[in-house]
Amino acid sequence: MSSKLKFAAPLLLSLSLLLSACTLTTKNDAASSNAENKSTNEPVVSVDTTPVDIELLGMSSSETDLNIVRDQLSKNGFNVKLNIQPDYGSFKTQQDAGNYDIALSSWTTVTGNPDYAVRSLFITGGDYSILSNPEIDALINKAATQTSDEYQATYKEFEEKLVFENAYIAPLFNSLKSQVYNKEVLNQDSVRISKSRSLPWEELDYNDTSKRSTEPLLLQSSTPTLTSLDPIKGNDGSINIINTNQYVRIVNLTDDDKVTSEGSLSLNHAIGEGNSDYYFILRDDITFAKIQDKKAIDSGERVGGNDVIFSLLRAKDKDSVPDHRTYTLHEHIQNVELVTDIAALEGQTVSGGSGTVKSALESGLDVGITQLVADKNEANNQEGKYQVIKLTTTEPFPQVLNYLAHQSAGIVSEKQVKAINTYDVAAFDVNKDIPYGDQNTVTEGNQYNNTLYTSGPYILAYKNDYEAIFYKNPGYMKGTEHEPRIETIKVKFIKDADSALSALRSGEIHLYYGVSETKFDVVKSDSKLILQTIPSNGVSYLLFNTSNRPVAESADLRKAVLYSINQDEFLAYYGGNKFKATSTLSPLVQTGLELVADAAKVKEHLQAYQASK
Amino acid sequence: MAVHSLRKSDIQFRLKTHAEYMQASFAALASAGLAVILLASAYSGDGFNQLLGSAGYAYCGFTLLQTFIWYRIRQDLIQSGSISPYVRLLGYPMMLSFATGNIFAAAAAFHLIKQKKHTAYTLSVYALLSTLLVIAVTALNMLKPYVANGFIVGALFLLLAAGLQLISLLLASRLDEGRLNPNLMWAIIILQFIAAVTGNLFSLFAGILLLAKLRDKGFSAGSRFGEVLERISHNMAAMLGLLFVSVLLSLSITSVLTFDYSLAIDNNYSAILQSPSAQYPLGTDNFGRDLYTRIVLGARISLFVGFLSTAIPLVIGGMLGALSGYYGKRLDNWIMRSLDILYAIPGILLAIAIIAAFGAGTMNLILALSVGSIPSYARTMRANVLQVSTLEYVQAARAFGSSDWVILTKHILPNAAAPMIVQCTLTIGTAVISTSSLSFLGLGVEPHIPEWGNILKLGSAYLETHSFTAIYPGLAIILLVLSFNFLGDGLRDALDPKISRN
Repeated sequence: MSSKLKFAAPLLLSLSLLLSACTLTTKNDAASSNAENKSTNEPVVSVDTTPVDIELLGMSSSETDLNIVRDQLSKNGFNVKLNIQPDYGSFKTQQDAGNYDIALSSWTTVTGNPDYAVRSLFITGGDYSILSNPEIDALINKAATQTSDEYQATYKEFEEKLVFENAYIAPLFNSLKSQVYNKEVLNQDSVRISKSRSLPWEELDYNDTSKRSTEPLLLQSSTPTLTSLDPIKGNDGSINIINTNQYVRIVNLTDDDKVTSEGSLSLNHAIGEGNSDYYFILRDDITFAKIQDKKAIDSGERVGGNDVIFSLLRAKDKDSVPDHRTYTLHEHIQNVELVTDIAALEGQTVSGGSGTVKSALESGLDVGITQLVADKNEANNQEGKYQVIKLTTTEPFPQVLNYLAHQSAGIVSEKQVKAINTYDVAAFDVNKDIPYGDQNTVTEGNQYNNTLYTSGPYILAYKNDYEAIFYKNPGYMKGTEHEPRIETIKVKFIKDADSALSALRSGEIHLYYGVSETKFDVVKSDSKLILQTIPSNGVSYLLFNTSNRPVAESADLRKAVLYSINQDEFLAYYGGNKFKATSTLSPLVQTGLELVADAAKVKEHLQAYQASK
Repeated sequence: MAVHSLRKSDIQFRLKTHAEYMQASFAALASAGLAVILLASAYSGDGFNQLLGSAGYAYCGFTLLQTFIWYRIRQDLIQSGSISPYVRLLGYPMMLSFATGNIFAAAAAFHLIKQKKHTAYTLSVYALLSTLLVIAVTALNMLKPYVANGFIVGALFLLLAAGLQLISLLLASRLDEGRLNPNLMWAIIILQFIAAVTGNLFSLFAGILLLAKLRDKGFSAGSRFGEVLERISHNMAAMLGLLFVSVLLSLSITSVLTFDYSLAIDNNYSAILQSPSAQYPLGTDNFGRDLYTRIVLGARISLFVGFLSTAIPLVIGGMLGALSGYYGKRLDNWIMRSLDILYAIPGILLAIAIIAAFGAGTMNLILALSVGSIPSYARTMRANVLQVSTLEYVQAARAFGSSDWVILTKHILPNAAAPMIVQCTLTIGTAVISTSSLSFLGLGVEPHIPEWGNILKLGSAYLETHSFTAIYPGLAIILLVLSFNFLGDGLRDALDPKISRN
């Protein structure tokens, strides 16, 4: 045995020596040989290289993006603390409490016009804005009055100021809009995907049309808490699609974001010379739907001019309801009125043309305008009796039409809303007063008291934590191509994206909106699913805190974060299904600016920040 | 023939009382299972996978040899009641099976070659096996373009430990059960203690065992600890469980030097979702991070949280239970009824509530998991104390006028501890699962930190397209929990005075 021992010791020693002599490259070796390859002319300066603490706030649904940002920041000398919140509510609470340095935010310009992409977010006092910079305000207001050829330069200047000069935001990427549906159930021609507008439910149809009245269409939404069913009181993912399909507007957007009267309350619209007067000729074949005994019935009340005037004026008036979420979208509306004098239409020429407004409004109509009526019940398009609405803006502002296509400009019933909203706005008591569209009134339970009057193709009958039931509006454009095909739509609330996709694949839902890019492969490999994608107006960006944090004071620190962001890595992660962005304007205006990651600039700005501390 | 004169129960007794027989059957079955898995995966997919295939055939070969050994052992035992030296010699070729990573067969072989096994010898064998496994796991890093800065130091350290363990194994084989040999024993103790710095539990135990023997000067059968170790060393499942835990513990310690943490944390977009290869032995995840490194480093958090969230309720619950059981009456009522309230709340719900209130993080995770299991420890302890405090020696101590504190700490607690230890090993597994579950729900540690639950969560999204991202972390969790359960079972048997072999 002892001979074995004598044998073992030198054997082991030689083995160890052999291993250490092996040409193993350590991490430092690899790093230094890399450094040697590069030119090392830069002078070596002794600097404070302690990692800078930075708190990154986001939602667990965007964990992937948070991880990529975290990775990029920590590789550039930051010490990232993650603050991940489970849902939008807690995220917003954290954001309002200021518990962040940078918040991962996203924005979708649902109106498809550039003004909306910047006004709410960045103007002083905007409804989502935490910035206050007079230069930026001036540029936003200047661009608003310009035509699309002119505003490109203004918006370029705006992006320079917002992103590169002040680094108020750090852009990440522009997303695709995507939806997947079951082609064995849904008719492939009936499912639209539009850049900005929400999916029009009225056009959806089954392959087997006999099922229209027997089978409910199954859709999905992630949030069972609906902000409000009053269109002006909400502007978020929980209600955008719902309110778009519950309230008709006086114009719509096409799939590529052009303004159209197609499928809207107006038969035609025209812009008067000077870009301040806008005319809409209304159709007479829509009545409000209401819910009785949990079934949709025709209320018999026609959707007409007075409702349009009422709806748009309350949309622009900050004090028309408590918690008004959308007034900044409509602040350019000065007045809305009925036109009862045909001569007024004949005397006005259209913008950029020679014809009169009257002829523009009449174009394509079977029966010309013979009479303009003030009472909506007297309108009869077959007899040439029409209602015409004139909208004037505070200044020439052609983009107002895009805002009118937004769900917040949905037409509500003047009579019904006035009957429900009897409280005093200034003294509104959330515990006592029940406003029109309060989600509790449509939620099953003892507070259920559905008082909705909807002008759109569908009406919400009731909801619970698992699903919401919508019925077709029986008085919506009957006999036209816009009449809703399917009787009942059931929106299931499935919070988790993976579960929602599983539900789609198992036939539990028929259409799923917003499938993740990383799931495209799975969707494409399933033969019964169809994936639709279109470049969207959605942009993700990092928003810097503007109060009580080092990032609020130091532009150097913000720029260090900005130049740490490498958009190519996002594109690589998402397999090319994301696009580069410079600001929320990027999908709408080509400014030619691009954010390029630059480690040297990061170092420079971090040094400047450390020196200023 | 003699065989026919034996009753069936006699045969059963002969076979069951020889650990070699049980180990041989276990090793044969395990090798056969692994061989099937390897060959199946070699032939699945496109064409034949050379590497997996040759490994599979090697496993097949060793399985055949192992089955032959098993058959010979069986024959020998039935015919003569002992294993012939020739069969034991077959253990030497079987040792080669370790080269293929077959620890089951290798462990059985080490057992077979020696007829009279000192517990220290068995422990030394497992100590060496454990270090060799750690070296093997570590050595896979050499296939990467570069290794961690401390790799060479760490690897030398491990090799040194293996060398020391080999030497002490050879020394231990010269130990004689009946005779005390202090010089030899001191040598082994020192070598094993040095090697135990790598986190090798077997080395530590072997050292402690011999130290206890030396202090005892061989007058008695040895310490209680030694007795337990001796019994558990016959239980192969428990030893394999301990082996896995020991390997993970060593890896958690040595990976500080030998593994590059940045490979587990930093995203690499040029290597997203790569299938297993030499450079990435278990593939990469959706951020291009090396799954192998992530899983190895993830063991650290899983073990840390598992151990701590078991130790905290053990101490707190144990203390409350002891007080409650010893003093009884009103105090007992107060403590146990308040703990009953805690007991009524489902553990995982309580953990979720605590994390929701205090935020996610490693410390809060440990706290959340600890609080929920205090009552069960208190109940176990209370029952034991109630039982032990009625025994004569406690009465005697009381009659001598010992203080309550002395009686409780010196006489009652040491004798009431056994079931607590068993419960610990069994609940560590649950704690590991809970940690992973909470991380899976996004309530554990930060998502980029390598933790098995986190890794599994990311992987689960790719279960359909890149299943390896979910299978490997899942396997790791299963193995660790299974190991603790085997260990717990073994400990329960070993600690039970009713199943004493002597």
